[in-house]
Amino acid sequence: MMDSKPVMINYTHRQAGHCESGATSNLFNFYGVKMSEPMAFGIGTGIYFSYLPFIKLMFAPMMSFRNLPNTVFRRSTKYLGVDSTVIRKFSNVKDSMDALDRNLEKGIPTGVQVGVFNLTFFPPEYRQHYNMHNMVVFGKEGNLYHVSDTVMEHPQTLTYEDLVRVRWAKGAFAPKGKMYWINSMPGELDIRKAVKLGVDKSVYEMTKVPFWLIGIKGMRVMAKDIRKWPKKHGNQKAAFYLGQILRMAEDYGTGGAGFRYIYGAFLKESGEMFNNSQLLEASDIMGRTANKWREFTYLGARNCKNRSSQPAEDYNTLGDMMMEIAGMEEQVFKTIEKLKI
Amino acid sequence: MENSEENTDPVYKNKNYGQYRELFYSYDENGNFQKSVGFHGTTTRVPLEQAWDLFNERIEEARQKVLAGKASPIVYYMEKILADPMGLSMMAGVSLWKLKLHCRPAFFKRLSDKTLAKYAEAFNITIDQLKNIE
Repeated sequence: MMDSKPVMINYTHRQAGHCESGATSNLFNFYGVKMSEPMAFGIGTGIYFSYLPFIKLMFAPMMSFRNLPNTVFRRSTKYLGVDSTVIRKFSNVKDSMDALDRNLEKGIPTGVQVGVFNLTFFPPEYRQHYNMHNMVVFGKEGNLYHVSDTVMEHPQTLTYEDLVRVRWAKGAFAPKGKMYWINSMPGELDIRKAVKLGVDKSVYEMTKVPFWLIGIKGMRVMAKDIRKWPKKHGNQKAAFYLGQILRMAEDYGTGGAGFRYIYGAFLKESGEMFNNSQLLEASDIMGRTANKWREFTYLGARNCKNRSSQPAEDYNTLGDMMMEIAGMEEQVFKTIEKLKI
Repeated sequence: MENSEENTDPVYKNKNYGQYRELFYSYDENGNFQKSVGFHGTTTRVPLEQAWDLFNERIEEARQKVLAGKASPIVYYMEKILADPMGLSMMAGVSLWKLKLHCRPAFFKRLSDKTLAKYAEAFNITIDQLKNIE
């Protein structure tokens, strides 16, 4: 079983801000379609917001700035009409690895969903139980697999045992060996239609989902909660909870400001491509919103620095700022609602 | 493959941290989105450092508890892999109420090798290491 020939697919690794849209854009590029990371992210409706205070992730309320895992790849291939395959889960370890080996022998670079905690080459400060990371396997030599993880600057290698461990990581959102790949590219891609579909879906998800914790509504709920934290939990815990927002927005591979920069870059690129004033206007607001997010980080980080004593910034101010950000983002999606393209 | 330059920003107490360059986007006054590759700045790293301080505190606290005989080694290793009881019960395949019993030394002593192996696999260590913490 293990005596297969070494395989090395001629796959170009490019660093990206976000793991999944980076993997998707690299896969598109492998099949000869010039697709930047923001385009893949925007068409695949990566932008999202949800605030779930009743679920604790690493001892603090959970919030998410991106869509569920695999959405970007699935939707971008669906909207562009690309023939792709996603295997959601395997029943056992051997099947999942054999399927990967078969793909590599056929010369297909294959994306896999993995857990971060046991990923050996990953920056040690990011070690946490996060099972929604994506990377692309593109080569194999004996026991060693070559993988392209877009968070890292260079391609990396993993042994068979390590790859099994991360592909079968346990816990919430367990990947269960999920893998995906592109079968073939159609001759002509209808990007105009795909942008329209992607933007419409994002507008729905950010402003119209009838649930109060998702999208702009969720941001408003979070803003109200920020004001309550110091009274409810004390200064130390409030600083830690605030830190969770900042970590999620800035640290864990988002390209900055919780994917807002990437989405703005998508609006700008597609606006220039089709010369559409609606998209260009929205991209400007999105860029300013992202800068506001960064400002929020700078202010919030001062509270995290001296955490036990009196907070350096008032939590009411931070809450107001979050409200303002929510208002600005609502404006973005109001602008691109009913997009004429 | 190694990074050519070293991050000299003294955000981290641990020198192994923060040695990876990442890709960032930014938006300038002229309305252009820029890409740049670099290290994280001090400000964005403060919350991460704060989280690691808390985790290390919790690990040390759990270690002291185990050494004093107030809790079983499972508590220490659970903190060490940054899991909560719910997460660990999913990882090890042990139900939550059983896990909470196993956190007490008296129950831990009576565990079979089969159950210990489940925990050892979740923690990625051997059974001997599980029984004797450093």
